[in-house]
Amino acid sequence: MESSRKQRWKQLQSVFEPGFKQMILVSVLLHILVPALYYAPFFPKREIKKPPVYRVNLVNKIVKNPQAGRPEAVVSKKPKAKPKPKPKPKAKPIPVKPKPVAVKPKPKPKPVPVKPKPTPKPAIKKPVKPKPVVTPKTEPKPGVTKSQKSALQKRLEQLRVAQDKKAQAAARKKRIEELKAAAAAEVANTPAIKSPIDAAPVGMVGAKGDEAGVSAVAHVQEFIRQQWAFSKYMAVGTPEAEVLLSYNAEGTLIHYKFLRKSGNEAFDESLRRAITKARQLTQSLPEAMQFEIVFNLKDMLDR
Amino acid sequence: MKNIKILMFILFLLALTSSFSLAATRLEISSPGEQTIPLAMPRLLPMAAVQAGVAEEFNEVLSSDLELSGLFDQVDPASFLSDATRLGLKRTDIDFYQWRVLGTEALIKGGYSYSGGKLTIEMRLFDVVSQRLLTGRRYIGKLTDVRKIAHTFADQVLLSLTGEKGPFSTKIAYISNRTGRKELYLMDVDGHKPLRMTNHKAIVLNPDFSPTRKEVIFTSYAKGNPDLYRKEIYTGRESRVSLKKGLNISGRYSPDGREIALTLSKDKNSELYLIGTDGTIHRRLTNHYGIDVDPSWSPKGDQIAFVSDRRGNPNIFIVNIHTLEVSRLTFEGKYNATPAWNPKDDRIVFSRLDKGVFNIFTIRTDGSDERQLTFGEGNKEHPRWSPDGRFLIYSHDLHGEKSIWLMRDDGTGAKRISAPGGDDLHPAWSDRW
Repeated sequence: MESSRKQRWKQLQSVFEPGFKQMILVSVLLHILVPALYYAPFFPKREIKKPPVYRVNLVNKIVKNPQAGRPEAVVSKKPKAKPKPKPKPKAKPIPVKPKPVAVKPKPKPKPVPVKPKPTPKPAIKKPVKPKPVVTPKTEPKPGVTKSQKSALQKRLEQLRVAQDKKAQAAARKKRIEELKAAAAAEVANTPAIKSPIDAAPVGMVGAKGDEAGVSAVAHVQEFIRQQWAFSKYMAVGTPEAEVLLSYNAEGTLIHYKFLRKSGNEAFDESLRRAITKARQLTQSLPEAMQFEIVFNLKDMLDR
Repeated sequence: MKNIKILMFILFLLALTSSFSLAATRLEISSPGEQTIPLAMPRLLPMAAVQAGVAEEFNEVLSSDLELSGLFDQVDPASFLSDATRLGLKRTDIDFYQWRVLGTEALIKGGYSYSGGKLTIEMRLFDVVSQRLLTGRRYIGKLTDVRKIAHTFADQVLLSLTGEKGPFSTKIAYISNRTGRKELYLMDVDGHKPLRMTNHKAIVLNPDFSPTRKEVIFTSYAKGNPDLYRKEIYTGRESRVSLKKGLNISGRYSPDGREIALTLSKDKNSELYLIGTDGTIHRRLTNHYGIDVDPSWSPKGDQIAFVSDRRGNPNIFIVNIHTLEVSRLTFEGKYNATPAWNPKDDRIVFSRLDKGVFNIFTIRTDGSDERQLTFGEGNKEHPRWSPDGRFLIYSHDLHGEKSIWLMRDDGTGAKRISAPGGDDLHPAWSDRW
């Protein structure tokens, strides 16, 4: 049996070329050497940058052709969670907490009885001294009281401070609980958003596209409107201007130009400020887009 | 090979232009998201030694003026960051990022120094968004000029942001009975520095400022008859302009200051006349048995609005001074009085008796779009426009005391400006002072 194994081994050895073992050895050594060198502190290593994490807002995702629905459709799930705070009526914890406040005063008396203890010690010495004269009786008293009194006062102060801190913390907790309860009650009382369409999907009211999200055009329109500040007291007549805005897919303003100015310098200047503030949209666009926006005060001046 | 190169170049150009050939989506934004300009105004800082009271008074006056303008939403000073405590008047010295964080769009910074009785105040207005200096001024005066400087800079801020100067460094003339008699007074737009101008010890009424000179005209019973007087404000010189028998009342300077429209009753009936500044009659404007009073010039100087009862109740009419053609402006209400033509030439303000109370109304010069500006108890009468047409002043009879009030042209921001202690009425707003 053994002879057959040996024979096979010999056969294998005959198959290998001479120096095969050395080659394997060198190979193993090299495999060990390379990681050793890599992890050795001689060579600077490049940190592999982790790819950025993108958070996609699926509720208000900007799409080119939104489907029919409503932007807050997904939000409607939240009201389901709202009932939870309802039972919270955190009014319950409130009455519980005042109790610890009432308990705290107790520590005060505790330290007081503890400190008198040192005084009895000198009292033991006193009986020894009475022999010489009666006067020495007074001497130990001041010696003991000075140091002990100060220590006692210090301790008392420390305890008072600690007690005050505890009381303040308790009051703060109580206040936080009260506010939480009030906030929960307010949330519970606010009526949930109701959709005219039952189980409406994420989309835009009246839209005809096929993508879940909100219209990029509507988003840009509202975003720029929010950046625009202009007082009706600055308006002269009915100013109107037209501006061409070019955004890339990342939502960055590449270029803008006035196609038509209003003739009212204050009005045009307010538009320039708004455009400067809107140079970066809060979300990226589905693609590079251009907008021809007519700015006027129709809604503001129609009082 | 050459053809391939040309083809490649054309393809490159096409690729380059394709990004700009996007079809633009057309949108309309018909109202701004914010209807006021967020403004930050840190405290005036000393450029040398601290002088008590200067910064406080300056900031109070400037803040009050800008608040009244209705243009701004002033950022709460409690939220200011470190840049508010730094005296940086140069664009490069300002940390605009701090102001952007607070949502500010306009920033006012300033400093002052006081030495040898000379007060210097340096003010700057910056656009926070574009980080530009919009306007900068250095004012030199006395310690008593702090309020005046603040008003002047408020006007400058409005000029810079709206293209039209504010009315804060102007004056208001009014009639007050603080001395027991109705006399002519002058005060700042915010009611400070009231100054008695006459001592006629008789009834003084209806003041009006000259558009070209520092003088006022008014009616006074000093000589027994209601005569029209003129008074130079700085010299105090006074003279009678019109002393016709009967009424010489409600005189109003023409926009060029060369003529005065007034009511005379020399022919037994109250009619409107045009007289020269020397008192000579140039023209009779109305000729009707009804009473014609309270003229008010259009800014172009070709028409005059006035009150007449020629159709029964007192109403507002307009007369063309060239053709003498009269047209009726108001048809509503039983008693419409004291019209005043807007310097912008688009509206006329007047007071109307409605349900037993006078309130202020405006109407377009073509008689359309009538709007009620004031409501509530107390008569509001004698409205007059600010020189820029943005504000109105009027007298308000509240709880038995008449006082001068100021509001925006849409009726908002009304506030009392005359101090308590007497009846104040018949206000008139000066032109640029």
